[in-house]
Amino acid sequence: MNMKKIGAAASTGLLVFSLAACSGGDSSSDSGKTQIKFINGFTGGDGAFMTKIVDGFNSSQDEFEVVQSQEKDHYTKFKSGNYDLVVIHETSLETYQKDQLIQDAGPYMETAGLAEDDFNAAGIQSGTVEDKLFGVPLDIHPLTMFYNEELVSEAPTDYEQLKALGETLQSENENLYAFGLPSTGLTTFYFTAAAAQNGIDLAKDGYLDFTQSDYADALMQYHDMVFKDNTSPEKLGLDGEFQAFMKSADEGAKQTAVTMTGPWYYQAVKEKYADNLGIGAMPTLFETAATTGNAHTISVAASVEDEEVKDGISEFLKYLYTPENLANWAESGQTPSHLATLDLITEDPEKYELAAKNQKQLDTYVAAPRVYQFDEQMRYMNEVVFTKLTSEPNLTKDALMSELEKATKAAKQIADTQ
Amino acid sequence: MTNKSKWLGFIFVVPFLVSFLVFWLIPLLYGIWISLHDFRLSVGNNGFIGLKNYVDILTPDTIYNRTFMTSLKNTLMFIVLSVPPLILISLGLALLIEHLPKKLKTFFRTVFFLSYSISVTAVSAIYLWLFGANGGYINNILMKAGLISSPINWTGDQPYAWLVIVIATIWWTIGFNMLLFVNALDEVDGTLYEAADLDGASAWNKFRFITLPEIRNISIFVMITTVIASFNLYGQSLLITRGGPEQSTSSLIMGINTTVFGNNQLGVGSAMALLMGVIMMLITGIQYWISYKSDKDDLAKPSRKERKRLKRAVNAGPTNVNQHPAATIDKKERKIT
Repeated sequence: MNMKKIGAAASTGLLVFSLAACSGGDSSSDSGKTQIKFINGFTGGDGAFMTKIVDGFNSSQDEFEVVQSQEKDHYTKFKSGNYDLVVIHETSLETYQKDQLIQDAGPYMETAGLAEDDFNAAGIQSGTVEDKLFGVPLDIHPLTMFYNEELVSEAPTDYEQLKALGETLQSENENLYAFGLPSTGLTTFYFTAAAAQNGIDLAKDGYLDFTQSDYADALMQYHDMVFKDNTSPEKLGLDGEFQAFMKSADEGAKQTAVTMTGPWYYQAVKEKYADNLGIGAMPTLFETAATTGNAHTISVAASVEDEEVKDGISEFLKYLYTPENLANWAESGQTPSHLATLDLITEDPEKYELAAKNQKQLDTYVAAPRVYQFDEQMRYMNEVVFTKLTSEPNLTKDALMSELEKATKAAKQIADTQ
Repeated sequence: MTNKSKWLGFIFVVPFLVSFLVFWLIPLLYGIWISLHDFRLSVGNNGFIGLKNYVDILTPDTIYNRTFMTSLKNTLMFIVLSVPPLILISLGLALLIEHLPKKLKTFFRTVFFLSYSISVTAVSAIYLWLFGANGGYINNILMKAGLISSPINWTGDQPYAWLVIVIATIWWTIGFNMLLFVNALDEVDGTLYEAADLDGASAWNKFRFITLPEIRNISIFVMITTVIASFNLYGQSLLITRGGPEQSTSSLIMGINTTVFGNNQLGVGSAMALLMGVIMMLITGIQYWISYKSDKDDLAKPSRKERKRLKRAVNAGPTNVNQHPAATIDKKERKIT
């Protein structure tokens, strides 16, 4: 072989080798088990409990293996990667279905021996798109109230009680407040709470219409809670509702007696307050009682076609939705929407403290509006509007309405990209 | 050259060629192609649409225009705020290290470079703790010292939010620029300083007329690479301020990320990325042109002091048997004198 041929062969080989590295792998592992690639965003305290379930499944199996990835930006990785199972929030489920990223989960549930009757109504609603279950309901995570029993003996149930608590605390120490409103972070829950507790439907022709006068009034009440009633400190920043609950007024920081935040902070608040931690339900901040939040569902990627992988997914669902196994998820603080698991939780409310309390909220749970790209339609509200509500003392309803018009315009344009 | 050595040379070039094709040229061409299509991340290509994505981005009052323009403005602001300190402070540190005793040089060079090895997540966590608005370390110190009466909302108010991001960026990346300057300073011919000492030059004059001209090329390189790096602002503003307050620290990369992964618009996101590339090339080109032009001007018209310095350096002669300072002077410079 002459040098010309050697050179051509070598360069072709290198090119093929490089390009081969870009192709995807198959679904079987070295041990011969069929792999199911499962991605979720459980990177907080709850992550360890999902890992416990996955490990439990893997050790019980000779045929299948769930390979779990817990990533903070798991949605991004799911869209650009090669995964079989994914955890999707109920607010994103319709978008993922319309973008053809997931498939009907019904057949998988059927093979796993699961039926709609096995879940509560809020759970079924969370996983349903166009009358089909595109997400197997995992849990509902409502806006959860934690309170410091050293500062308040009973969970406040409405805003009047919170306001009175704030006045008492302020008279003791100017750094003590009833509760905290974040500048940004978990503000979607606060926006949906203002709508649900005032009976306002934000969805209109597929987009979120924030420009309703009643809604502007409701949001101005958040402004009043900070600047008129002094119930919450101003400018608490990102995740300020949780951060202020964890601070100490004795060290010069703003401290709140109550926080309304995500249940995923349960491990952290339990560690800090131990026996002084109280758990309550979402109080009525406005007109009527209603709980808002979000839900986790488990979806199957649209790309899954391999029959063995399909069988593995059903097998995993069968294992996951066995009450004794799903109870691990309840132990993390999450509230499963699987009825048999809820029964188990009811039997042992001390072990599953938060889930036991939160399951009572499911009766008043109001899901967020189902629109295409819900999170993107909420982006301007979350990143700009709530910051203004909690940071600008002179904000007027007219100025707020102008911001709501901008947010609605952006929401409408995003809805139109479908 | 024989055929054998030609092919042998070609084989050595192949790894670079493959990398260049796979990681640069093909993605670039693919990116251009995607930007001309209605390409969704989820379902792929919905057909050729020409320059529509670019038109949408450049048409006022569309979501893409608002995202792109806001984040471009923020990124340019970050460049203006961060590039001067990143160059000046790193040069200052390099000069400090240069004047340290030899044994301490290595130690401090490592200390200043150490922060560069930390991940952006850890850097952001440190700065969030330091600059927390409610009970943060800096606020506590300032309040205890009586310098402020109420806490500053460092990450939630402007201009503090930019200040925190810029300080975090300087602390994190200063080591890289510093090391480049340290190496450049090591290359400066010591005999020039000796000649200047004999002439009674002050420290400032030595810096102005010897050090700066001698490290001119590396300074231009540092400036251009720092501007390019600053265009890539992402982790710090994502983790420290979440793009706030009110989207004022949301960077171009964050905007592109939102468009591609949030809005599912890979075509529009690719068009944004290419526009960003064009803007970066323009700015880099202008920087290069200005530095090239001023270099030419300097060579054409050396100042009186410069001419004096060079004359003395040339006439000084060797200071020991192994050194020939005149020989280290650039040919062009000798010709000018």
